Amino acid sequence: MITLTVNGKTVRAREGSPLLEAVRAAGVEIPTLCQHEALEPWGGCRLCLVDVTRPEWNGWAKMVVSCMYPAEEGLIVETHTERVVETRRVVLDLLLARCPETPLIQRLAREHGIEKTSYLPNPEPTDCILCGLCTRVCDHIGVFAISSVNRGAGREIAPPFHEAPPDCIGCLACAEVCPTSCIPYETSDARRTIWGKAFEMVRCPKCGKAHITKAQADFYAGRNGVPRSYFETCDACKRQEMARTFSKLSAGAVGGMETGKQGNRETGRP
Amino acid sequence: MIEQSCAQMAPLEEILGRYPREEASLIQVLQDVHRAYNYLPCDVLAKVSQNLGVPLAKVFSVSTFYKAFSLTPQGKIIVRVCTGTACHIRGATQLIDEARRLLEIAPGETTPDMGFTLKTVNCVGACAMAPVLIVGEKVHGNTKPAKVAKALGVEEKHHAH
Ligand code: SF4
Ligand code: SF4
Ligand code: FES
Ligand code: FES
Repeated sequence: MITLTVNGKTVRAREGSPLLEAVRAAGVEIPTLCQHEALEPWGGCRLCLVDVTRPEWNGWAKMVVSCMYPAEEGLIVETHTERVVETRRVVLDLLLARCPETPLIQRLAREHGIEKTSYLPNPEPTDCILCGLCTRVCDHIGVFAISSVNRGAGREIAPPFHEAPPDCIGCLACAEVCPTSCIPYETSDARRTIWGKAFEMVRCPKCGKAHITKAQADFYAGRNGVPRSYFETCDACKRQEMARTFSKLSAGAVGGMETGKQGNRETGRP
Repeated sequence: MIEQSCAQMAPLEEILGRYPREEASLIQVLQDVHRAYNYLPCDVLAKVSQNLGVPLAKVFSVSTFYKAFSLTPQGKIIVRVCTGTACHIRGATQLIDEARRLLEIAPGETTPDMGFTLKTVNCVGACAMAPVLIVGEKVHGNTKPAKVAKALGVEEKHHAH
């Protein structure tokens, strides 16, 4: 563990862990849009900017993205210096120009004193902020079904050739992780659709709930070498089954111990 | 997913043989495919993805990132008009107008006989020769609208009516 200061407060952190963790540990809130604890930091949205300095830097400080900058011993972190706040405001102003109708962006902008973007608002409003969380979560699962396509102003998230992605397993992870909920999907007991691809559902053999797609069950089974039937049972039923097994086991274990003790007592007695 | 009729796979086989079957070969393979087919056909990209073990979404991402790659069939000769700052100031717009008039297509389009594709590009790094017109591989510096027909190798059309 190392020690650093955040807005004058001393905090301890794991060396090399993202500065953002130390900032949060100090109880300081800064906005983030492209960061997720289950994924590698990416540094895409630039909202988590902070100023860092050290005594030996003679007053010189640099702005870094805290979700990626590694914590070091003795670092002095300031999260709300004038230039940091101003830069964050520019980022939000630009995001608001891109996504003028997106509630999350409107709220963050308003919290930074921006009611209307000072840039030309996007004539074709989108809710996608290009945070890359969806593609990164899909890659993380090991599916790689969607990606960032084109560049510059035309950049967007899309499946290959803008058609139903052949690799997608319909897990909905991308839609769930999306901070602006802009990936549409439909799901029912019979069918699920996302990215224009339709999936058949698997029903839990215990309770009948349609909880995953056939493609998901196939993918997980193929990857882990665990029988497909394990994934067909829904999590709730799996937990129940587990609880039953444990209570049976512990009942057995307790019983066994008692017999053991008794045996000892018996043999132990003169 | 494949709209184009099955493009010839033969050139691809040969191209794939040139590089190790790994992700790092992707851009080189795409460049060679582009040279051989004059664009990146989607069925060929699917094959590239399989062969190199790179997910199709990644192949598509790279293919759409670089301006040098086209995902639609292009004309035999690519005509590029530089619209960078220097060329803009020295008359790129007139060159485009002249090329449009001669080829009867807008930038980004291809002539129906697949002879030419007209493109605009940003600074090609030859500002001293502005305005710059590139026909196929040949660079024409200090071009004037009157010289475009010759550079394109097309007959000057005398107005039809
Ligand atoms: S639903 Fe499809 S695209 Fe989305 S994370 Fe799952 S596999 Fe990837
Ligand atoms: S679709 Fe959502 S998760 Fe994906 S980049 Fe856009 S905003 Fe981020
Ligand atoms: S959260 Fe750090 S750059 Fe987005
Ligand atoms: S602007 Fe045309 S070559 Fe630089």
